[in-house]
Amino acid sequence: MTKAQQNYFEIFGLEPNFSIDVPKLSSKLRALLNSVHPDRFASSGSQQQMLSMQKTTQLNDAFAVLKNPVKRAQYLLHLKTGIDTSKEHTVNDPEFLMQQLELREELEDISASSDISQLNQFADKISELEEVQEQQMAELFLQKPLDTDELQKAIYKLQFLHKTLSDIEQAEDKLLS
Amino acid sequence: MALLQISEPGKSTDPHQHRLAAGIDLGTTNSLIATVRSGKAETLADLEGDHILPSIVHYAKDGTVSVGKSAKLFVCSDAKNTISSVKRLMGRGLKDVQKIKEFSANQLTASGTGMPAVETDCGMKNPVEVSSEILKSLVKRAEESLGDELGGVIITVPAYFDEAQRQATKDAAQIAGVKVLRLISEPTAAAVAYGLDTGSEGIHAIYDLGGGTFDISILRLEKGVFEVMATGGDSALGGDDFDRAIAGYLVEQANIDKGDRSAYQMAMIKAREVKEALTNKERVEINFMHWKGSMDRALMESLIASIVDKTLAACRRTLKDAGLKASEVQDIVMVGGSTRVPLVRQKVEEYFGKKPLTDIDPDKVVAIGAAIQADVLIGNKSDEDMLLLDVIPLSLGVETMGGLAEKIIPRNTPIPIARAQEFTTYKDGQTAMAIHVVQGERELVEDCRSLARFELRGIPPMVAGAARIKVTYQVDADGLLKVTAEETITGVKSDITVKPSYGLNDEQITSMLQSSVSHAEEDMKARMLREQQVEAKRVIEAVEAALAENGDELLSKDERHAIEEALKQLAYIAENGDIEAIEEAIKVVDKSTEEFASRRMDASIAKALVGHEIDEI
Ligand SMILES: Nc1ncnc2c1ncn2[C@@H]1O[C@H](COP(=O)(O)OP(=O)(O)OP(=O)(O)O)[C@@H](O)[C@H]1O
Ligand SMILES: [Mg+2]
Repeated sequence: MTKAQQNYFEIFGLEPNFSIDVPKLSSKLRALLNSVHPDRFASSGSQQQMLSMQKTTQLNDAFAVLKNPVKRAQYLLHLKTGIDTSKEHTVNDPEFLMQQLELREELEDISASSDISQLNQFADKISELEEVQEQQMAELFLQKPLDTDELQKAIYKLQFLHKTLSDIEQAEDKLLS
Repeated sequence: MALLQISEPGKSTDPHQHRLAAGIDLGTTNSLIATVRSGKAETLADLEGDHILPSIVHYAKDGTVSVGKSAKLFVCSDAKNTISSVKRLMGRGLKDVQKIKEFSANQLTASGTGMPAVETDCGMKNPVEVSSEILKSLVKRAEESLGDELGGVIITVPAYFDEAQRQATKDAAQIAGVKVLRLISEPTAAAVAYGLDTGSEGIHAIYDLGGGTFDISILRLEKGVFEVMATGGDSALGGDDFDRAIAGYLVEQANIDKGDRSAYQMAMIKAREVKEALTNKERVEINFMHWKGSMDRALMESLIASIVDKTLAACRRTLKDAGLKASEVQDIVMVGGSTRVPLVRQKVEEYFGKKPLTDIDPDKVVAIGAAIQADVLIGNKSDEDMLLLDVIPLSLGVETMGGLAEKIIPRNTPIPIARAQEFTTYKDGQTAMAIHVVQGERELVEDCRSLARFELRGIPPMVAGAARIKVTYQVDADGLLKVTAEETITGVKSDITVKPSYGLNDEQITSMLQSSVSHAEEDMKARMLREQQVEAKRVIEAVEAALAENGDELLSKDERHAIEEALKQLAYIAENGDIEAIEEAIKVVDKSTEEFASRRMDASIAKALVGHEIDEI
């Protein structure tokens, strides 16, 4: 083959950083798809069709990772250090563990009380925590050299908040149906 | 006359550049075909001027097959040999469909394939064959009124159709002998027709309630790109269910034996009349067998309210998947005959907090959108006109220990897509691994749809947990799945294009193809040769166009020369060779253009990136 596999950032012509303007990335994705999508090659040779399929798949894949803060952080850490945080991992941080327990309890209480507006407030709170965590992540990734311990912890925290948000959604689904 | 006129490579080739393509809305109750003529998309009528073809097929004792209006005449008089709503059976197993009342238990039997089959006086007919009759009838209509053969069609399917249902639809097209350019979702097609018509950018919801299926799709339209953000629905929910609810009431009022099939059939027809009449009237008088009575709109609405509510629950879930609130949807486009029901409009308006758009023809819009896209795909429109980006409607997963379904590609992921997951062996010395492919949102495998099972054999014996088995799911632009499994340490591989558990295999398709009426007179071999020649011509045209576009900048003299030689060779063989020789020559051309194709792709990506940066300034 002609050249080494590009990483997900390179595919979009980006520097490998944690901070990403997702709406802008999404319009860039559309511009790229516009020129490589299989529909553009419906009457081309099979060679070109296969390439187009591969490229489109690759773009969709790259976008799915980059738009999601947790996956983006994991990918970036792996890219820069080779550390794989995609498998189950725990981090030793008693303070955060406490907070985690508290948040889980709060969610259980609210779910039990079936109070939608309270659930929504709780979702807002988690979203705020998530935002703070993302900012911190961006800063950690700018440090030189990288503090890999801190980064792993930060990823773990973000992952937890992400998971909590999706649990809130499930709880809401249950309440509404 | 020579079938093909192939000129020297380099010279411009095609005398008639415009190729015929059509869009087909293969509906539960009604089907339509549309095409683009002098820049305008329109549905095509039969000789009597009717655009809608009722999706009904009748098999007469003497073997005559009739489709549409003429088949409809037999619905009551020869119910046994008349098949309607066959779309509800597509891609389903016998067990799934025995609940459907229109097909009485003794009418449906198991065919050898696990698919249900309807017993008629002409023998057993499976849903794929029946659908292919409807397709043939539409294609014939188009070819007669356009005066030429169709180069390819787009067939629409409900967005919420699963893998098996999509595959069954494609199989039906193959048996009907039409080339499918792409399957696209019905609501996406509607959005294309609507979006191009109004040119309105932003976020649109398409609410499509037809005879047998319900779809809700949330799309974003921006600069000609139609991006499906999320889709949801129910592939067994529609106007038929309204009819059933009303028929239930009629049967009860008239005190009729529940097992009386022909009475039930009549109740369904009456129910539909009543329902449609109540769209414009407040009350209708009913004469049903010996029962005389009446029904007002309020009573009907009480019978169907829970069905309408089901559609709203799906809307809620889908908005959430799209990450949107109901108020963020700019407009709601109503598609499908059942959106004429006042209660449906009212409830949709309440839910979204704004009036839905009902001014486009809900019957034709899907076929028209499909025709527009077909015209683009077959190459009649210049590039960059428009692009459809679709998603998979249901999560794809694999069975893991304990009967759990692990998701590999979650629903609403944009296609085409590939995802891989690693698994390992759980016993020492294990040399084979069973892979069970499932589709659906539930956690337990038994609650999901089973798509296929296959086995990866020849894993070298290792201790438990040492093997690395990478399972890759690849979904193409039609939403069809291919699964590969590979032991990564040794490279032992196994792959299948998923043929759903209730599908036809290639042999069955070939045998149906051969027995199918339209091909009986025609020698299969001759047809295949002609197809191969057309394919050769297509390849030559495509490569020449590419050479003309950027052969100079991307190829050295020698490289270009090699490609041109291969093309010359192919052109010669296409006229003088047999099927295999042509196939071989196409492969040679493919090989010779491999590097060129990849450079072209890279160049166009680079251009798109640069173009995008400039756009932004
Ligand atoms: N005026 C009307 N009032 C109420 N319902 C109507 C009216 N006209 C048509 N319908 C209903 O619309 C349904 C048919 O709609 P449509 O033709 O869109 O379905 P289809 O495309 O065949 O089905 P699907 O898209 O589900 O495969 C039938 O149930 C029919 O009774
Ligand atoms: Mg329809």
